[in-house]
Amino acid sequence: MDYYIPPLKADCEDLLNQFQKTESVRYEEFAAIWRKMNFSSIFYGKMAGNEMRTFSRLILTIAYQYFLPPHTFQIRAGGLYLLYGLYHSQLASPKEKIRLALKDWEHVQKFQTDAVNAQHYDVVYILRRLFSEKAFYFAAMPKHLSFQVKRKPTRHTVCEEFWDRSTRVKDLVTSDTLEEIMNVHEHYEKVKAAISATPGQPDPAIHLINKDLGARLQSTVMRFHKWQEETERRRNGYEDAGDTDAGEGTSKQSECSSRAQLLASIKSKSYGQVVEASRSRRHRQAEMDTSASEPNPATRCKRPISLRERTRKKLMSQGSAKQEDLESTTQWRLSMTEQDKLGERRREKKSFKW
Amino acid sequence: MAAKHINSNNNVPVYEYTDINTKPFHVGAFLSLWKETLTPSDYSFQDTPEEKEDAEFAEEMGVPSETVDELKAICSPHTLKSHPEDENLDKDVVPENPSLQTLRLRKKRQDYKETLLRDVTCRQDFYANELEILAMGKRPEDPEDLVPEGELILSVNILYPVIFERFKNVRPHQTFQVLGSQKLTQLRDAVCCVSDLQVSGEFSNTPDMAPEFISKDHYKSAFFYFEGVFYNDLRYPECRDLSQTILEWAKTHEFPTFHTAKMEDTTFNKLTIRIGYPYLYCHQGDCEHVVIFTDIRLSHRDDCLDQTLFPLLTHKHRVITRKCAVCHLYISRWITTNDQLAPMDPCLFCDVCFRMLHYDSQGNKIGDFLAYPYVDAGAFN
Ligand SMILES: [Zn+2]
Ligand SMILES: [Zn+2]
Repeated sequence: MDYYIPPLKADCEDLLNQFQKTESVRYEEFAAIWRKMNFSSIFYGKMAGNEMRTFSRLILTIAYQYFLPPHTFQIRAGGLYLLYGLYHSQLASPKEKIRLALKDWEHVQKFQTDAVNAQHYDVVYILRRLFSEKAFYFAAMPKHLSFQVKRKPTRHTVCEEFWDRSTRVKDLVTSDTLEEIMNVHEHYEKVKAAISATPGQPDPAIHLINKDLGARLQSTVMRFHKWQEETERRRNGYEDAGDTDAGEGTSKQSECSSRAQLLASIKSKSYGQVVEASRSRRHRQAEMDTSASEPNPATRCKRPISLRERTRKKLMSQGSAKQEDLESTTQWRLSMTEQDKLGERRREKKSFKW
Repeated sequence: MAAKHINSNNNVPVYEYTDINTKPFHVGAFLSLWKETLTPSDYSFQDTPEEKEDAEFAEEMGVPSETVDELKAICSPHTLKSHPEDENLDKDVVPENPSLQTLRLRKKRQDYKETLLRDVTCRQDFYANELEILAMGKRPEDPEDLVPEGELILSVNILYPVIFERFKNVRPHQTFQVLGSQKLTQLRDAVCCVSDLQVSGEFSNTPDMAPEFISKDHYKSAFFYFEGVFYNDLRYPECRDLSQTILEWAKTHEFPTFHTAKMEDTTFNKLTIRIGYPYLYCHQGDCEHVVIFTDIRLSHRDDCLDQTLFPLLTHKHRVITRKCAVCHLYISRWITTNDQLAPMDPCLFCDVCFRMLHYDSQGNKIGDFLAYPYVDAGAFN
């Protein structure tokens, strides 16, 4: 079933990306995109016995991830709608349930509180409806685990655009990493001093990094934190004021667009700060920035071509290797008769490659 | 809603290795954490009346009931349909030129399947499904036997021992659902393994005697091993503490101390375990099965709710059986060696062919051979 993971993720991200562009958390907007994409048809097509159930289970597990941090509130609302849509469109009977893990409960709770406070009635209504329909399993983990150790573990990538950027710096610079950086830096200074011509004094020619890197980084992060908290408070204050004068009106007046602006400002600020703090990462930050303004997210969520594939392509284009060289050679003999080759091709055709 | 600091609690399952296994936690404590955070109606088997739900929503959100009605219309699942209700749609067919990537993949496969002469649905999948569906939503005849609301259901995979050559590369297993309040011995009794049915001895002179000695009745000792504790089955006087040898060996090799407990005194709720982590079930002295808890969750109204059906077998790997060398039809029951009448040595026979070939009409042994009862790995299919 794992071969369905990449296309399923791509489809979900396509839907959520379109939802993100509406700059709204309204269910109506979501449903319109869902219908336009004919998303219910994701369950169509003949599947053997158990396959239908396993597929439902898989897609619910994938959609569940968008309902959790580190995604933005808007994407999480989209994730919730996605779960709701998938739960109702699935063809298995009785329906497969959405697995809610105990460790994620806190986030769900917080999400609900946020939605209530911002008077997003549709978000709250749909969440409550899923509860009353008994659409959840209250489970230990989001999926069954059976010690499936893989040689090449699948990486969990979060689509950049869906990321709630406000937590990024916090995630990046924890007290652990800070300590690690300080340790590495201390060691670095020592090594520099050791190789220097004047013992105990590092060569000024290789003075490339601020001596008090750790302390500076820490204070910068703290300053950013404070700034962030303050803006957060200011934003909440604005919201409260808005909420008091109009009942349902505020929920229509899109809170999330102001949030998006805010996130954008945090984004630009946070990049500015980090770039100042560490010069060595500048090129990486620049990359991030350009990617964030790139219009098509689908291409970015894709993995780069593997080294093996690149080498193969290069060899092929240079003409130094012929196609047949790259065809698999059976290990127990180095040559192959014409007949075998034909047989090999035929066999290749027969088995379906995912 | 005491969920605030839930994640600082050690009994909240979290990954030790992502997608592979969790850190250890106490099953009973995990259950109480869920129960503390949820309201009983969340895991109740009954529906809350819709009017009540709506009224509660209106009150908590401070909106008039007209707004709730409006919301209901806006958020109805009907809004997800791209086609009108009455349009007859064949859901077995992938729509033409699908834009969804998932569908393109499925279509590719469907098109490929049509090129095949015959479509062999994997029997494995087919039967696995059947078992699961059979029990779904089952209710007991006696209401006393109803699984209580808020009971835990654990899924346990019991892998087949690697005693057979053909189990080396796959991981065939049985899956059971057990209740948190059940005892470990209940799971032990539910596990079926061919080595319990093994009959030892040579019976060529008295073939009718054979089936009376089944290993399960002879060697009753067994243990489970979870998180540093051996749970021994000591229900019968002839049971031996199989873990003793291991404990003593571990002591002399500077291993951390292991503990022992009685299998019959321990319920699953009392265990400390990791989900996804391989543990051990050992019986018949040396038949070892890897045991993995794949899931723990609260019971749901769509589950099998008849307590008497637990431990519930939800998946069983079907093993290819070895057929009789004569008729190629029935599963083998006898294995012979030094057999002049057999085409090979050793040779497998079903009961009928074995007797027909090796004994005359009075039941006298013909020729020289040794015969041992044979239990096929697929005997439980
Ligand atoms: Zn066994
Ligand atoms: Zn036969």
